[in-house]
Amino acid sequence: MRTSYLKPILEKAGAVFEERCGTEVVSHFSDIATENSTVRNVVGLTDFSFLQMYRMPEETAIEFLDGVLAGNVASTRFGRITHTFLADDDGNILSDCYVANNDEEFLLLCESVIDTDEVDRILDACGAQDAGVERLHDSHVLLGLDGFDAWKVVRDAFGSDVLGLPYLSVEIYPFEGEDILLMRAGKTSEFGYLVMAPTRVAAELYTKLQEAVKVLGGGPCGVAVHDGLRLEGRFFNIFKEGVAVRDPLVLGLQWMIDFDKESFHGGAAIATRRAEGVKQKIVGVAAAADCESLVPGAMIYHAGQPVAEVVASCHSYVLDQKLALAVFPFELAYSGVPFTLGAAEGPSVRTISMPPILPKSLTLRLDEV
Amino acid sequence: MTDTVESTIERRAAIIATFKEELIQRLNLPYTAEDLHEDISLLGAGLGLDSLDALEIVLCAENCFGIKIPDESIEVLRSINTIVDYIIQEQDRRESAA
Repeated sequence: MRTSYLKPILEKAGAVFEERCGTEVVSHFSDIATENSTVRNVVGLTDFSFLQMYRMPEETAIEFLDGVLAGNVASTRFGRITHTFLADDDGNILSDCYVANNDEEFLLLCESVIDTDEVDRILDACGAQDAGVERLHDSHVLLGLDGFDAWKVVRDAFGSDVLGLPYLSVEIYPFEGEDILLMRAGKTSEFGYLVMAPTRVAAELYTKLQEAVKVLGGGPCGVAVHDGLRLEGRFFNIFKEGVAVRDPLVLGLQWMIDFDKESFHGGAAIATRRAEGVKQKIVGVAAAADCESLVPGAMIYHAGQPVAEVVASCHSYVLDQKLALAVFPFELAYSGVPFTLGAAEGPSVRTISMPPILPKSLTLRLDEV
Repeated sequence: MTDTVESTIERRAAIIATFKEELIQRLNLPYTAEDLHEDISLLGAGLGLDSLDALEIVLCAENCFGIKIPDESIEVLRSINTIVDYIIQEQDRRESAA
């Protein structure tokens, strides 16, 4: 099983590990409530090195990536990132992808529900070798800085100009004689950055960021807390609703797809389903904080009949409520509708508008700091 | 479907349909109304619209539904659903004041 280059440091810091789709990841360091508060109020440092990472030259990147991924890669401007996905032959989602245009090269970061070898195999079958694709998952680490104070950590580490980076952008910074990549690309709805660095400087970088985070009152985080953070901020989570639903049209990911494109991997199957009309839709659901049965697999009832299935859930520490995503038939997939859970006489739940929280980071404009 | 649920859905569906149609036209979005999930983030993530687009969204909501979205109400513009919530809230407020 693939594991992080930083495992010895993470273990020393108290990390508890779990397996996620063929890769060992840090589940957590402390309890979820503490790590949630760390991100919402200060800053958390997370090891995202379990993502598949690739680099390729600009001259081959656009044609290759446009033929593989669902999104409009060709429109990715210099210094910017496109958020899209990789699908299988049946048009079901396999990887949640960031494509970064970093001047003379493109980067591809994949968060996948299949293991790394399988992602490699799919890319190879699509012509990765001819496109000069280089695998970086064994030579680089990827760290996440997320939280209301995340901008302070990256500003102090890389300079004040990082404050000018818009969401979904990438920039190179020097660190200990190496080029490292800073991407503003969090999925928590607070300020968020990804830092990609060669393993040669990975330990120094992690230690430096860990100390800076600690000075501010933040701490290390695992991936488990991100499941709840993403749901609260209504960011797509391939490891929860993604793995349960798989169909990007039911998941509401049409915005990641370039429907004008001639073809992409799985594109024909998606186009067929789109032409037939989507029959289901994923919708946010809320219940009281003590509604312990709002969990994946639970059925939502309307007029005495089961009508929807819960596919992801969390406790929202911001709202002190249970939150979930459920797949509803199109005719009932609207916010503001009351239902019951588990039975006709079960506890009350209600569909809600997402995102349900107002993140602290929305109250601060970095260009005015 | 119960009468209350039916009327809640009918009202919301009508607002969403009008708003999406206008939004797609004003911003020249390459999507159909069915493609636009009501919870998609409008600014930054998701559709990735910019501040000029945000102004169009505000004008779209104001012109279609005769409401006023205050300048500082960025939280209203987070998704189509949050805008629709605001439109319904404003319509209800006006109705009860009349």
